[in-house]
Amino acid sequence: MKLDRLILGSNAFEGVSYISRTHSLHYLEFFAKEDNIVPILEAAVNSGVKTFMLSNCGNVMAALQKFPRNKELTLLPVIPNAYEYAMEASEKGVLGAVLTKAKGFSMYQKVKLGLRALTKIKSVISKDILDLLLELIHFELASFEKYQLGGVILHGQLTDLALSSRNPDILMIFQDLVRDSYDVEPLLATHNFGILLPQLMEWKIRIPIMAPLNKKGFMMRPSQPECERLVRESGYQIIAKKVLAGGRLTPEEAFPYLKDKKIDSVVLGIGSVPEAYHTFSVAKSVLNI
Amino acid sequence: MEKEKKVRVGVIGLGKMGILHTALVNMIPQAELAALSDINKQLARYVEQSGLRAPFFSDLAQMLSEIALDAAFICTPAFTNLAVVETCLKKDLDLFVEKPLAHTFEDAKKMAALAAASKNVHATGYLFAHMSLFKKAKGLLDTNVIGRIHRFKSSMYTSEVFGRKKGWYYDKAKSGGGAVINIASHLLYLVHWYFGRPASVFARARSIYSDGVEDDATALMEFSEGVSGSLDVSWSVPGYRLPYMDLNIEGDNGTLELTNDYIKLYLYKAQKSFPKEWTTIHKIDMPVSSPFELGAEGLYEEDLDFIGRCLDRTPAAVTWQDGLEVQRIIEAIYRSADRQKVIFLNEVD
Repeated sequence: MKLDRLILGSNAFEGVSYISRTHSLHYLEFFAKEDNIVPILEAAVNSGVKTFMLSNCGNVMAALQKFPRNKELTLLPVIPNAYEYAMEASEKGVLGAVLTKAKGFSMYQKVKLGLRALTKIKSVISKDILDLLLELIHFELASFEKYQLGGVILHGQLTDLALSSRNPDILMIFQDLVRDSYDVEPLLATHNFGILLPQLMEWKIRIPIMAPLNKKGFMMRPSQPECERLVRESGYQIIAKKVLAGGRLTPEEAFPYLKDKKIDSVVLGIGSVPEAYHTFSVAKSVLNI
Repeated sequence: MEKEKKVRVGVIGLGKMGILHTALVNMIPQAELAALSDINKQLARYVEQSGLRAPFFSDLAQMLSEIALDAAFICTPAFTNLAVVETCLKKDLDLFVEKPLAHTFEDAKKMAALAAASKNVHATGYLFAHMSLFKKAKGLLDTNVIGRIHRFKSSMYTSEVFGRKKGWYYDKAKSGGGAVINIASHLLYLVHWYFGRPASVFARARSIYSDGVEDDATALMEFSEGVSGSLDVSWSVPGYRLPYMDLNIEGDNGTLELTNDYIKLYLYKAQKSFPKEWTTIHKIDMPVSSPFELGAEGLYEEDLDFIGRCLDRTPAAVTWQDGLEVQRIIEAIYRSADRQKVIFLNEVD
C-alpha cells in the first residue's frame, strides 16, 4: 500500500487533547465551527499534505464538504465512531448501542445502500455481531462515498478488543470487506502495538498498523524499546501517530527521533493554521520529504 | 493457592464493563477466563463470535455448578450485586465488583460484612486507585510536600445527560442515584483515599433532565482535623467529551492541583525535590505503567491487582471496606440533600 509520508489527523477537530481540559475545551469550541477547520485543510494541502485521517463526526464532515479543494484530498476514515457508541453504551449497553445504531439504517440505509440492507437487517434481530459489524462499516463508509478513499482504518478500541479476545475473525472480515467492497487497503489502529504486531504475525494477517511512536514513549505499549524493535524488525507497514507525544514535544524535538525509524507515514493532529505550516515544514525538512 | 496456578475467572454481566473486563482478563497471563454469564440469552451468539473460548451461561447458578472457578468479576447492574455476591460466596469465590459496591448503603454494608466474615479476596472498581497520576499525587500528599492541609475543592463533570434517559442506570431504585453515585463516586474514592472519612456533609442535589435521579450535586465536607472540602458534580455540563475531574488542595506549604492530565504544584519555598513556585507533572511524561490498555488507563492494572491478590491472598488495592466508605459518603450526601441539613458521618451506619 502506498501512503503519503505525512497525514493530517482530525483529533484536535474532535476536541481531543492530552495536555489539559483548557486545550480540549478550546478545540471543542473552536472547531465546532467547520469554518475554523477549513483553513487548516487548506494549509495542509498547500503544504503538500493531501491525506486526511478522520472520523465520521458532524463538524469534520461539514468542513470537508465546505473545503473547495476536497477533491485533492485522499481520505482515511477511522471506523466505527467508537466515541459515539461509548456514549450510548451506559444507557443501553454495548449491544444496545450497536443495535440502536443499526436500527438507524432500517430508515436510512435502505435508501443509501439499497436492497442489501434489507436482506442483512436480520442480523439486527439475531444479534449476529459479525454481520452487524459489516453493516456498520458499510453504514459509516456511506458518508464518504463521494470522496476519494485511500484506505479504511479500524478504530483502535475495536482492534484491541479483537486482540484481547484472541479473535482474528473480526480483523480478517474487516480486511476482506474493505478490500473487496471498497477496493482500498484496510489499516489497523492500536494502542497496544507491541502486543498486536506479534499476534498479527502469528495469525498471518498482514495489514498496515497505525500506532503511537514518539521520543517520550507516550502510549508505546508494552514498552518503548519493544515497540522500537518491532518497527525495526517486523517489516510491517507502520504509520506513526502521537509523534508529538500529545503536544508535549515540539516538532523540532519530535521529528529527529523518527528520522531513522522504518515507518511509512506520520499522522499529525493540528490545532491552528500557523501550527500546520510550521509542523509540516519541520517534518518535511527533518524527514527529507 | 500456589503461585504457578492460574486464577480461573468467571465474568458475570456482559454490559460495557463486563465486556471490557472479559477482554482484560483474557490478557492477564496469571488468569484463565473460564466462564461467562449474562441473563440475556442472545449474548451467547456474541460470545461464540467474539473468539472467547469460555462457555456462556444465561443461568448463573448453572455456571457456578458446572464450572470450577476461583474468582469472579461481577459487572451486573448495581441493584443485583448483593444477590450475585451471596450466590458466588457460597462457592467460595474471590470477587471483584464493579463500582459502586451496591445501589444502596444497606446492601453495601451487607456486602462489606460478608467480605469481613470470609477469607475471600474482595475488590471494587474505583479506577483512580490504579492511575499513575493519582498514585503520584497520593505519594506527594503522604510525604507532606504541601504541608498540613487546610482545605480542598473538587469537581467532576461530563456531558452525558441533556434529556430524560431510559434504562436501569437512570432508575434510582436500581442504580441508587444519578451523578453522585455514578460519576462522583470515583472522586469520592479519592476524597476517602486522600483525606479519610469526613466528619460531616452538607449537600444539595437537583434533577434537571432526569426523572428521579440527580443530574448535579454540591457538597461541603468537614473533616476531623480542621480540613474542609467541597465537591461539585454534574453529568449535564456541555463541553466534556469524557468525565473530567479537578481537585485543588491547599496546604501550609502551597497548593496541589490534580486533574486527569496533570499535577500542578505551587510551593512557597522549595520542598523535598521540588523547587519554589510552580512544578507541573504531566501524565504524558510519566512512564508507561501498563503493558496493555483497553477502555481506559488503569483498567488493566485494576484487574491485574485483583488477580495478583487472588494468588497472593493479600487485600486488594481497593477493598469492599473502601467501597463501603465511599458509599457512606454518598449516603450522607443523599440524606443531607433530602433532609436539607448537615449529616454527621458517624450517624450513617
